[in-house]
Amino acid sequence: MAGRGIRVGLRQALAQLAAGAPVPVFAVAGAGARERVADLRLSREIELVDEPAAAQLLLIGGLVPDVLSAPLAAVHDAMPGPRCTVFWPLGASTMPALMVPHAVRIPDSEDPVAIIVQAQRAVLTGIRASDPPLLPDVDPNPWRGIGPYGQGGSGMTGGTPYGRPMAELGPDRDGLRLDLLPLAIGPFFPRFPTGLIVEVTMAGDLVVEAAIAGSPFAALGADATARRGLQPFLRALSEPVSIAELEVARARDHLRWAAGTLLTQGLRALAARVLRLARSATPAEASAVASLTRHLELVRVPQWSGAGIGCLDRGLLAGLGVGPIGRAAGLAEDARTEDPSYMALGFEPVVMHGGDAAARWRLRMAEAVQSLELAGRAGARRTRTTGLVESPRGRLAAGDAPFERLRPLLATLLANLEWGDAVTTIVSLDLDLEEAGLVSSSRVGAEAA
Amino acid sequence: MNLLGPLGVTLTVFVSAVVAVLVLWRLGRANRTASASERVPFSGGLSPSVHAWSRYHARYYVMSLLFLAFDMEMVYMYPWAVVFISEGPIAMVEMGMFIAILLLGILYAWREGAFEWA
Amino acid sequence: MSEFPSPQLAVIVIGAVMVAAVYLVTVLERLVGSVVAGTPWQLRHGLAFPLRAAALLLVQRRGTTERPDAAGWASAPALLTALAAVALAMVPLGARLAAADPKTGFVVFSAAIAFVMIAVYLHGWSSNSALALHGAYRYAAQALSFQIPFLLATLATALPARSLSIVDIVTAQQPLWNVVRQPLGLPLYLIAGLAVSFWGPLNLPDAADLAGGTSVQDSGVARLLWKGARAALLVAVAAMGAAAFLGGWWGPWLPGPIWTVLKTLILLLVLIAAGHLLPRVRIQRFVVVAWVVLIPLALANIFVSGALLLL
Repeated sequence: MAGRGIRVGLRQALAQLAAGAPVPVFAVAGAGARERVADLRLSREIELVDEPAAAQLLLIGGLVPDVLSAPLAAVHDAMPGPRCTVFWPLGASTMPALMVPHAVRIPDSEDPVAIIVQAQRAVLTGIRASDPPLLPDVDPNPWRGIGPYGQGGSGMTGGTPYGRPMAELGPDRDGLRLDLLPLAIGPFFPRFPTGLIVEVTMAGDLVVEAAIAGSPFAALGADATARRGLQPFLRALSEPVSIAELEVARARDHLRWAAGTLLTQGLRALAARVLRLARSATPAEASAVASLTRHLELVRVPQWSGAGIGCLDRGLLAGLGVGPIGRAAGLAEDARTEDPSYMALGFEPVVMHGGDAAARWRLRMAEAVQSLELAGRAGARRTRTTGLVESPRGRLAAGDAPFERLRPLLATLLANLEWGDAVTTIVSLDLDLEEAGLVSSSRVGAEAA
Repeated sequence: MNLLGPLGVTLTVFVSAVVAVLVLWRLGRANRTASASERVPFSGGLSPSVHAWSRYHARYYVMSLLFLAFDMEMVYMYPWAVVFISEGPIAMVEMGMFIAILLLGILYAWREGAFEWA
Repeated sequence: MSEFPSPQLAVIVIGAVMVAAVYLVTVLERLVGSVVAGTPWQLRHGLAFPLRAAALLLVQRRGTTERPDAAGWASAPALLTALAAVALAMVPLGARLAAADPKTGFVVFSAAIAFVMIAVYLHGWSSNSALALHGAYRYAAQALSFQIPFLLATLATALPARSLSIVDIVTAQQPLWNVVRQPLGLPLYLIAGLAVSFWGPLNLPDAADLAGGTSVQDSGVARLLWKGARAALLVAVAAMGAAAFLGGWWGPWLPGPIWTVLKTLILLLVLIAAGHLLPRVRIQRFVVVAWVVLIPLALANIFVSGALLLL
């Protein structure tokens, strides 16, 4: 009896102590929540983790399309517990189907950090029960095969041991026959934008085949229209928008991308520094951005992981209108050059050469500085509505987003890359599935008319 | 000086550390009734279609053969380092020749692309 | 002989040192992170953080995967911790204060470093998860590349000592520390040391592009023990660097053991700062650099410093 009492006491003491630690959160950023969710990284009381196994709290921000609800539930179940779910609507009307009905809700007016910390405390101290698994307890594959481990049949690939088949042999370019490991990455892989599903076949650490699925945000429906109004670049498709606002948004977008790239390179602290700048960058901070860029260049940030990686040839990109990616490969393509208001400001697109991941980094950082300077000079000028906008990712028009134009190039681009290089490449392209979904989900042009 | 001698103490430290960690592992809370969905390996939310365990193509096999050669060289260098000063220049020249031949091997392997596989 | 009077005492001291070291690495890691991120660091929160984080992982349940190699999963952190403990036991605190000082101390240390590869590989293998498996094989390539330059850089310090005993190696530095005698040695040691302890720019097996790599499935006590083992290994590498290159216990005014600890702290800070400032190195780049640059430099270091000794 006494031993039991001690154990209970110890557990309570541990829970008390644990409640003071940063809450390990696995965050899923749906439509309209990317920036707000990423900013949680700056909070001391929250730690955004990469793997659900390390998390105790699943944060669902914004609108996650219903097609992603099964993977979302899988991520929820992968948290070891005690666990709980927090829903931060940010204007979304519904939580994805299949999710826990009793998830904690963050009202739009309240501080998300306080509510997350409160929810975590409640679970740790037992006030709130840990979420049960959402998906049914069914083995992924019916067990078949012969022998104690189901290894029977002929050779290792005969049966389906432990409920899943083994990888199949396949030929390789160096003449050996070894296993080809199919791997579906996403839609909530921490390094990739929400919704990106990359199906790769790996031979060793090499990608031999890659397929990229389309944007799951294409079927957003009613919520999409409201979201579009919040996005300056989407708004600019149908109405004149202040250039200063647009260019500050562009600079911030590029800096947020840079923070994501730093995370991929394992630099969490530097990423936080860049993120803080991204959150509040104003025209006055152009020189701060420039000096930060120089510092990062000094510690070899673009060079070590990006030089020579993910090269896209200018011939391949000509006419594609993929913004920074094209301009980093020597193409002066920029929809802003067709806008007289920009030309009156003396705008000239930044162009760099190389076309690799390092060139894309350098170009976006240079463009962030340029955009802040433009915003400072723009005054009250507004864009002219032509139905074409240069978003931070390239030419944007109704039903036509840079992501969809880049997608056909990706299979060949990723083939024969080592996995780390493949991730660097995908991150360097700054794919935005939400933007793609929002312009395609209904006719933006028709609304404008 | 104790009964076990320095290597015995080292072994004791090793075994104690192993036991300590295994005991902690055992004492820690574990989800012993994990459901099927709680066991799926993470790759972003989708289920894997096959086992991860596979005949993995370790593409750096040529480099690992080169490593064998150099690891043997390391074995010779341990005693060599101890007698280096007492043997004088002769030790230096002999090991120098041996190492020079091995270094040529590295250059050859480099030219053949043994260190890059993607 | 310069040894602890009993093996029990050695085990207790090494255990205490390791717990303190893991705590310290966690505090420093967060402190340096705050400085780099430009956020304020509060002493009270900073000192309590390791305890709170550990408590959180103890409250969390240890999960599992479909058919893991359960024995391997538990053994990996056990092996890594034990290897770090052995490596640490080889480092003398003072002239007459060493947990164990075998005549072949350096050989024992290098054996411990060689086995790190087994522990990391086992860790990546046992959860039966693709991302973890990729991390495991990545570390195999990394380990085959850092092994030679790491040991060559350290072995050069045995030349002036005419011995493989670490106490002798430190004793021989009384007139001149090896960091001066062999200026290439310490930089090579630290670069390879980052690779050994898979830290910062050379944290390739547990990298962010693999969402945590070999530890992607770790939760609860499994994560705690693996993190602890990694931190202990980092400290072991720093401590050996302090002994082999920075003259161990030699130093004015302060007693010897304090110098050993101070020098270890300095190297630890360098390693942790490198982890926050330098980006991840591509695995193939590392392999090429290790073979084509680090090994020839380490050999040059041995032969040049050897020739200077003979003059």
